[in-house]
Amino acid sequence: MAAILLQTADWLFVIDNMGLLLGGTAVTVALTVASILLGFAIGFPAGAIEVYGSERASRLVEQVGVVLRGTPLLVIIMILYFGLSISSSAFVTATIALGLRSAAYQSQIFRGALQSVDDGQLEAARAVAMSRLEAIRHVVVPQALRRSVPGFQNEFTIVLKDTSIAIVIGIGELLTTGQNLYEGGQSTAALEIFLAVSLVYFVLTFATNRSLDRLSDYYAVPEGTT
Amino acid sequence: MTQPLLSIDDLHKSYGSEEVLEGVGLEMDQGDVTVLIGPSGSGKSTLLRCVNRLTEINSGRIALDGEDVTGTDTDVNELRKQVGMVFQDFNLFAHLTALENVTLGPKKVLGMDAADAEAAGRNHLEQVGLLEQADSYPAELSGGQKQRVGIARALAMDPELLLFDEPTSALDPELVGEVVEVMRDLAAEGITMLVVSHEMDFARSAASDIVFLDDGEIVEHGPPEQLFQNPTADRTEQFLSRLHAHEETA
Repeated sequence: MAAILLQTADWLFVIDNMGLLLGGTAVTVALTVASILLGFAIGFPAGAIEVYGSERASRLVEQVGVVLRGTPLLVIIMILYFGLSISSSAFVTATIALGLRSAAYQSQIFRGALQSVDDGQLEAARAVAMSRLEAIRHVVVPQALRRSVPGFQNEFTIVLKDTSIAIVIGIGELLTTGQNLYEGGQSTAALEIFLAVSLVYFVLTFATNRSLDRLSDYYAVPEGTT
Repeated sequence: MTQPLLSIDDLHKSYGSEEVLEGVGLEMDQGDVTVLIGPSGSGKSTLLRCVNRLTEINSGRIALDGEDVTGTDTDVNELRKQVGMVFQDFNLFAHLTALENVTLGPKKVLGMDAADAEAAGRNHLEQVGLLEQADSYPAELSGGQKQRVGIARALAMDPELLLFDEPTSALDPELVGEVVEVMRDLAAEGITMLVVSHEMDFARSAASDIVFLDDGEIVEHGPPEQLFQNPTADRTEQFLSRLHAHEETA
């Protein structure tokens, strides 16, 4: 193993092509951020509807969620791009596919978090004359968001790595860029390239998780009975 | 004749086939402190929750200042601005400090600006003896302190009537006194209070009326000295002697 990893030429090849890999990284980051934001914009209200919506609305959201969670991401991307052709831009299509799938998962993170807030909190807010919506917004949601951080960290990591599936509609993100480097026959440095790519994923995941931990600590409130 | 502040007429409430309140009637004037006692399951808390419509009634009438508040056209949020509530389990907003708990309603509901709400909130915390804990979160407070914040939170809305739902039942015995003391102060200030509690100390010293509720109906209603010394109904007497025996052993 040590002998393989010490092949200086291969590492030099990786370093020479760092620019390309970073370009792929930029695509990965852009795709992840856009998808997570779209997933939040849809997933948060969806989770809230599952908890607080009318029976009909919550059942509808639940059923759509089940279908999205039960369909492989690859299939979702292919259907959106080649089947429905919702956009001529592969990036937009990939964002929508990843975003919708993430929304389905995020809705469950927020549903669980909202349900975990004691009913007495909502009742006490109603008792100081807040409307149901105000009570949810000012009292339940701030507590639920704090509790959704761990689940959200998971979801971020999953979306980050799943962006690589976007290659099926021709998006060259980080992993694909790396793959192209040795598949083009310019080098045999496959292992080194994958290690470098893994390192980038690790740095991104680590940095984001730490940032979310910081955010969580900043907004943390002492736990216990209220 | 002046109008009663609260008047409840022939109130009925069922959960499914089980009738919890079977035609309850009650009147309170401004400044009255009415204590509801009765065995568990007698409908005390339900009656209380009907007044601010956390629970909807089946039939009957509840009027505040002579105005029916049970209709579908009544704005429940307007009603709840007039009727504050203190909960058995405190239910302080977990993510907010003591001061923020007290100011949230005035800021979001009454539209008070932040500085005014804070100044008023500090006064209310001082009133319950907790000014120094203004920046503490609920989890950092003792049970008695939490309940006093709960009282300050209700007071901050400047209600006409305060409902107390077993405010000391969830407290360790040694913490009951501080809450009772605050409630006694409020009673002395002339705040109208409808209290579900078996805290006899409070009932004897601060109540203007005692109402004994059993099986969903009012069995007896009178001033504390009369109801405690010379109860007219057998059921009241039995209940009081059980309560008394319990107090002795506690």
